[in-house]
Amino acid sequence: MRILMVSPYPPARDGLANYAVQEVKRLRADGHDVEVLSPGPSAAHHHLDLVGVRGALALARRVRGYDRIIVQYHPNVFFGDRPTPSERSRTYAALAVAFRAAHHVEVRVHEYPHAGAETRGEATAARQMWAAVDRISVHTERERGELATAFGIAPARISIEEHGANFEKRTNLDKVDARARLGLPADGFLFLAIGFVQPHKGFDRAVRAFSGLAEHGCRLEIVGSVRLDDTDYVAYVEDLRALVSATPGANLREEYVSDAEFDIWIVAADALVLPYRLIWSSGVCERAALYHRPVIASRIGGLADQGGAEMMLVDDDRELAIAMRSLAGLVDDVRITGNWPGADRTAVMDEIRLRASRRSPAGASMGGTQTVAPVRQTAPLRRLRPLTMPDARSARPGASAMKRVVRRLTAWQTDPIIKQVNQLQQAAIEAVADRPADPSVPASGPTAR
Amino acid sequence: MERKGRLGFVPARYGDGVVGGAEAVLREMAHGLAQRGWEVDVLTTCARDHFTWENVFDPGVETVADGVTVRRFPTVISTARAERAQFNAAISAGAPLAMSEQERWMNDDLRLPEMFHYLLDHSDEYRALVFAPYLFWPAFACGQVAPDRTILMPCLHDEPEAYLDIFHPVFSGSRGLWFLSDPECDLARSIHPRLTDYEVIGSGLDVPAHYDPEGFRARHGIEGPFVMYAGRREGGKNWEAMLDAFARAVVNGGLPLSLVTMGHGEVVAPPEIADRVFDLGYVSEAERNDAYAAATAYIQPSAFESFSRTMMEAWLAGTMVIAAGASAVNRWHCDRSGAGLVYDDDDEFEECLRFISEAPDAAAGIAAAGRQYVLDHYTWPPVLDAVERSIDAWLPWS
Repeated sequence: MRILMVSPYPPARDGLANYAVQEVKRLRADGHDVEVLSPGPSAAHHHLDLVGVRGALALARRVRGYDRIIVQYHPNVFFGDRPTPSERSRTYAALAVAFRAAHHVEVRVHEYPHAGAETRGEATAARQMWAAVDRISVHTERERGELATAFGIAPARISIEEHGANFEKRTNLDKVDARARLGLPADGFLFLAIGFVQPHKGFDRAVRAFSGLAEHGCRLEIVGSVRLDDTDYVAYVEDLRALVSATPGANLREEYVSDAEFDIWIVAADALVLPYRLIWSSGVCERAALYHRPVIASRIGGLADQGGAEMMLVDDDRELAIAMRSLAGLVDDVRITGNWPGADRTAVMDEIRLRASRRSPAGASMGGTQTVAPVRQTAPLRRLRPLTMPDARSARPGASAMKRVVRRLTAWQTDPIIKQVNQLQQAAIEAVADRPADPSVPASGPTAR
Repeated sequence: MERKGRLGFVPARYGDGVVGGAEAVLREMAHGLAQRGWEVDVLTTCARDHFTWENVFDPGVETVADGVTVRRFPTVISTARAERAQFNAAISAGAPLAMSEQERWMNDDLRLPEMFHYLLDHSDEYRALVFAPYLFWPAFACGQVAPDRTILMPCLHDEPEAYLDIFHPVFSGSRGLWFLSDPECDLARSIHPRLTDYEVIGSGLDVPAHYDPEGFRARHGIEGPFVMYAGRREGGKNWEAMLDAFARAVVNGGLPLSLVTMGHGEVVAPPEIADRVFDLGYVSEAERNDAYAAATAYIQPSAFESFSRTMMEAWLAGTMVIAAGASAVNRWHCDRSGAGLVYDDDDEFEECLRFISEAPDAAAGIAAAGRQYVLDHYTWPPVLDAVERSIDAWLPWS
């Protein structure tokens, strides 16, 4: 099949280009004849300024020779900066012409104006454009609902394409080697915030939430490049630099990292922190999922619906701080929300055990490195509640006071015993967890009865 | 070691008439490894000239000497490159460019969409992909398709472009880097805070079996002592400035020297020395080697060198080298070998020329150490050994 992909493309380094090239690779591997058209010169076969009516009509002249057109849709590609409603209306209408001229059009929606159309004319034109598309896809259920509402599209017409469906690993390093490669200390809990440093990424929120964690051996690394062509971004980065310099354990690396190095950073981390102020779906989350790194992220956009990554979603800065402390093992209550396996009881049980293990100090082997098999092995031991002294309260008059006196008098004998018993329990759990699983016992499989 | 798996060498240009140090090193390395039993592909453009990037070779696949498979991809230049010229001026002036501007600078030049997609489809079939030099689109864009199996031989010079942020990913994210000299490696470490794995492998040269200096003079009708320059005659190599300085030195200083030059690029000699400048254009390797042997000294005026093959070629022929000290590489070689003179301004350049004119025997005595220096450090067998060791270490066969 002859396919034309319309998208930003490498060597431009942005999420959309990165996404597109991975889909192109997969389509070509499947035997399709794929060409790419990008908005400017790139590694694409063709380039065309796609902004406005002129761009859309130029696209219309290019699409006829292909069996299938795939558009990686972002408004900036077609509308430019700050278009007026009338400009948007005309562009929508022209894009409708372009899409109708094609045999088959698929639009992967990565971003769109969530408020929908501002005027009746714009709404009409936008509906025409969406009507001319044969297949519309988004990355999450939430985006499907919002897109349908914003533009009056029947939800059934919008399919969900997993964001990371075409993603591949770009490093085989393990955490130890990744940290060595990056010159990072081998020990200590490492939080990572990575991506272009922009206000809406909310990396400043991560720094504030991190405050105080350095004294517990934690680090926060913020890694990403700055797009200096936007004055708002420059001001934001200056503020972020000041904030980081005043926060022990936080570090800002203004670096333009390679794709491989991006993944090496993820592998080196124990957890990613993505306190976005605005996002619809996140490629970083998908890359974290490739390496089984947990992600703390804002509960916005479609992040809650993104499959794959182990997500802790937070609603505000207080929850963000709690989540970071939790993952670092500083509080016991670690809750990973959403992203459950499907209707597979064994998988669900494994997931339950895994998540539960992270919520207790006994199972807190941070960073998603705990595996299901040790969790199962240690379960009988973990079910035993820690030994404590009997409750000193009593309904009988004076009995409570008497019990408290006795406790104080005998504490010098009983407390070391209780402590020793609990330490024995902890040591037994760790010993069992460290023991290789019996290969004859499947880690996942049919449950008895 | 196991010479298994296919190696892909990706020079920006390859073939007859191509002038350039990086291209020569990569070509000889590819063929040297093929002779050792490796399966070798050369992936390159159809261009010969790195200014126009005009497609002069046919695209497609051919098998050449040593069983090397050459795959040529057409260059695409789809703009007037006006924006690139503007950005070049800004870069030369040291003005900071935003990342998006750096990307536009890179893309407003030759591009190779067909090579990019060939690698996207087939990079898994190569054990290693070796790119050089770092500065051009082929290494920059195509070198990031499969970084886990990419080895970059940057051929880095201390030039303004080297400091652009856009290049960080290729220096930090490739599987490995091969440097040609210690100063080049030091420069890379100073620019890029976190280099990927690297090794200084140097570069090899084939040692000519014999030289025929008298035959060269006879064939070209050249009499009397002369100095020589071979390579790209262009501003980036300080060619014009050297030509002017040479004119002042020989005219004002009354020096009996001529200048013989060969290679690519226009030669516009000052009128007062026009009869003393011999432009031979593109010549065969044998003819070039004979010229080295016939010359009193070889001039290396370039400040942007990562290795300088021509200095080595001159020393192999037993000829004195006079090199610009603005290049740390030039100075390093001259200091290490003890076989070259270094100048830092026009006055020193004139005095170097005076020395070889007035004391040719002493100059020859100094230059004598150069041949052994090259034989000790820069012949192909030890360089190829180092290349194979690093391939084995970074990309073990599985």
